[in-house]
Amino acid sequence: MEKLLKELQYADLHRQTRRHFLQSAGFGLGALGLGSLLGSCGSSNAGTNAPGNAAAAKIPQFAPKAKRVIYIHMAGAPSQLELFDYKPELVKYHGKDCPAEFLEGKKFAFIQGVPKMLGPQGKFGQYGESGAWMSDYVPYLQTVADEITFMKAMHTDQFNHAPAQLLMHTGSPRLGRPSLGAWSVYGLGSENQNLPGFIVLASGGQQPDAGKSVYGSGFLPSVYQGVQCRTGGDPVLYVSDPSGMNRDMRKQTIEAINEINRQTYEDVKDPEILTRISQYEMAFRMQMSVPEVMDVSKEPQFILDMYGVKPGEGTFAMNCLLARKLVENDVRFVQLFDWGWDGHGTSKDHNVEGGLRQKCRESDQPIAALIKDLKMRGLLEETLVIWGAEFGRTPMQENRNGLVMPFMGRDHHLDAFTMWMAGGGVKRGHSHGQTDELGYYGVKDRVHVHDLQATILHLMGFDHEKFTYPFQGRNFRLTDTEGKVVKQVIA
Amino acid sequence: MLLPLLQASPWALFIGRFHPVLVHLPIGFLLIAALLEIGRRTGKINISETTVVFILFWSAISATFACIAGYLLSLGGGYDEELLSDHMWKGIGVAAFAWIAWLVKSDRTGKVLPFGKMAYLPAFGIAVLLTMSAGHDGGSLTHGEDYLTQYTPEPFRSLAGMGPIEEKAKEIKPIADVQQAVVYQDIVRPILEARCTQCHNASKKKGDLRMDELALLMKGGENGPAFVSGKSAESDMIKRCLLDESDDDHMPPKGKPQLSTDQIALLSWWIDQGAPADKKVSELALNEQVKPALASLGAGAPASGKASGKSPESAIAGMKVPQAKESDIDALRKVGLIVNTLSQDQNLLEVSAVNAPQFGDKEMALLLPLSQQITWLKLGNTKISDNALKDIAKLKNLTKLHLEHTAVTDKGIAELKSLPHLEYLNMMDTKVGDTGLKTIAGIKGLRSVYIWQSAVTDSGVSQTSKQYPGLMVVNGFSEAEVAQFLKAGDSTATKPVAAKK
Repeated sequence: MEKLLKELQYADLHRQTRRHFLQSAGFGLGALGLGSLLGSCGSSNAGTNAPGNAAAAKIPQFAPKAKRVIYIHMAGAPSQLELFDYKPELVKYHGKDCPAEFLEGKKFAFIQGVPKMLGPQGKFGQYGESGAWMSDYVPYLQTVADEITFMKAMHTDQFNHAPAQLLMHTGSPRLGRPSLGAWSVYGLGSENQNLPGFIVLASGGQQPDAGKSVYGSGFLPSVYQGVQCRTGGDPVLYVSDPSGMNRDMRKQTIEAINEINRQTYEDVKDPEILTRISQYEMAFRMQMSVPEVMDVSKEPQFILDMYGVKPGEGTFAMNCLLARKLVENDVRFVQLFDWGWDGHGTSKDHNVEGGLRQKCRESDQPIAALIKDLKMRGLLEETLVIWGAEFGRTPMQENRNGLVMPFMGRDHHLDAFTMWMAGGGVKRGHSHGQTDELGYYGVKDRVHVHDLQATILHLMGFDHEKFTYPFQGRNFRLTDTEGKVVKQVIA
Repeated sequence: MLLPLLQASPWALFIGRFHPVLVHLPIGFLLIAALLEIGRRTGKINISETTVVFILFWSAISATFACIAGYLLSLGGGYDEELLSDHMWKGIGVAAFAWIAWLVKSDRTGKVLPFGKMAYLPAFGIAVLLTMSAGHDGGSLTHGEDYLTQYTPEPFRSLAGMGPIEEKAKEIKPIADVQQAVVYQDIVRPILEARCTQCHNASKKKGDLRMDELALLMKGGENGPAFVSGKSAESDMIKRCLLDESDDDHMPPKGKPQLSTDQIALLSWWIDQGAPADKKVSELALNEQVKPALASLGAGAPASGKASGKSPESAIAGMKVPQAKESDIDALRKVGLIVNTLSQDQNLLEVSAVNAPQFGDKEMALLLPLSQQITWLKLGNTKISDNALKDIAKLKNLTKLHLEHTAVTDKGIAELKSLPHLEYLNMMDTKVGDTGLKTIAGIKGLRSVYIWQSAVTDSGVSQTSKQYPGLMVVNGFSEAEVAQFLKAGDSTATKPVAAKK
């Protein structure tokens, strides 16, 4: 211990540069003045819910309708024209040249020249009392039609996967901004103190194109970043004790480390040290709680059947079941990533016919099961379930390099796509927005990515214009300078 | 008018807006002059008379300018005329008497005026009294007449014969039978009262418009009538609501509580129907936009029974309680409960035992000091029993209650029926049965009850659902139902309402 402290002192002296001196001297003077001002005001922690805890909640502007979020992101972007956006007119145009007005001044990721139109591949029908349009690609989702609000005229600014995913999750197509999940935990705090507030589950462990930044904390303290849990084996690597180490010994170790960290914090006041301290404490508590919550072996067989999972799998379906277990334990934000939805028509797996059907077979049943399961446990009305991707797909068939593709596929499309939400204060059985008769542009009630983000924050109790974090001299917010709450989807 | 200034020109209003600044000068000057005069006359301080006279001179000058600016400000309109006139004449009085008091003492004029000496003190005194009275009128003009005394505390409140403190933004109460509601009286007027009449009323007529009575609404304001009967799209009050919130002409102004889409739909519908004063909902033709909006006014679920999705606003929106004591909250945190403030300005609390599985009946007493503040309570997976529910029943503002996976039974649940605002009750995996469900189903605002894996039977669910159509009783899957659900994958199992290729 003594040696450690000496080493720390030495490291400290190394850090004492002129800049540090000026910084702490300036801060010291300012703090003297501020301290005398605040002296009689009691706590300076006003505006937070639990002082002293780095992940403590701010107080929302109004009572939240959604206490928790499960965000299902289908990386690659499924075709809305096969699943939800029924366009009978497009059938007539199937195989014909794309009208010139759709192509003028437009850029696509792969389409070149004049592509052919591609008719919808699914068999559509209206389901539920709300009469929601869905195709036979998603037969299970049909059974929960009346829980869902569709947004059919979504649009975005980016037509490549990584920037579009960043825009969707962080409000900016460039790196460096906090993700929606990080903002949520920064705002509402982490409810269950034994579990991270923001957990990420990716099918097969595979990251989305934009990497970990889509669930990063950007310029927010890193305590708010998403924690990725593995679905098989140890849910969080290196969290369990090595053999020969008992829990008491582990506790003493962590206490010693945190004591040193606290001293360092007193000296340099870097908030990242607080993050580190709370992460150590969290990790210690997680040793008990994570394996418990991630263990599905105690689930009854019929629940496993409902999701279509077997214990030990690392599938999307398993992640849906885990998502339910996590929100049941008051985890604030659960982010699910699935991949393989990029149906260009380039291969057997990546197209809007067999390939998309296969992806739907893997995901449709567990998603419907998740909604039913949340509902019967009384969790759905407090939990916002969001389904979507980074963009949509074109009504034209892709003609990469001017060639005819081996399978039917569609290119990336940013002018119109469908997303849906359920529970958490959105309308039950509702459809918002409309696209033109070929599904190219939104013609009514368009919703931009920033509008969606504003709406999600609104459902969580935050006015997106007031919910900010100061960084590099200005206040930043998730929606940057845009975004309007879509009141029509709120119950 | 002689000068362009005397019309409501930009110049006039520019200078006019300095009235609230200027007006404080004569108030201060006169009072300090009065204090000095008292001090001088009682021999407490040693100053010459000229000091007081000098201050009086500046009082008179500044009072005069304040009067001019005040007059220019009043040209902008929007004030209660009677009160304005009182304020104006008292203000002019202050200036006039300040001049008189100065004139009779001033070196040059004092000796010329016959009753100079005798007029000094009365003129001075009247000026001071008028200052106070005019100042109060001015405050009433700006902030409203009850501003000063709105929050008079007890016991002075009762002594003065005042009613209980009213919340400023009125919330709209649910309507028992929407079909029989009189559209203007029961639907339109409450919306206007909640969102418009704070500024458009008898004393504060912004834009010369009053919205507190139908006739005055028809008459309109300086921009013409507020609505065109039968044509909501051409009606000013609707058009302004639909403008972007950042638009200067948008109403209500940015930052004030806004009308919901449903409320706009209701107002538009009423105007389209010719803005009748006494017709009932059932006497008017309905359209698609207004149906869900009307349904949302009811206490229960949509009348059509269809999944339309619009739920009535939670009672939480109208709640405001005193701030909880920090020590009471700390006591809860000490036993492992998580306590969060639900939203700014309301002081309501959310309490969760997610990290306190040992929480039991003994600790319940800790919640009672916060009986007003706790509105969401999560006691699922804890050791509580029926005894705890006696205490829970004392949390009068409770809207959401989680009791899943606990030992509570019908006996305990019966205690909850006195909770007036309960909206959500989770009794999943408890011993509560049909009797328990029946006793609490009568709670008026109750919207959803969860009973999966409890002792409630299917017939109990269907009976309750029939009797209380506004209440959603949610059961879960049995094994057989899961098997049924799994058949959805067979393309033949679920039939669409209407299928097309």
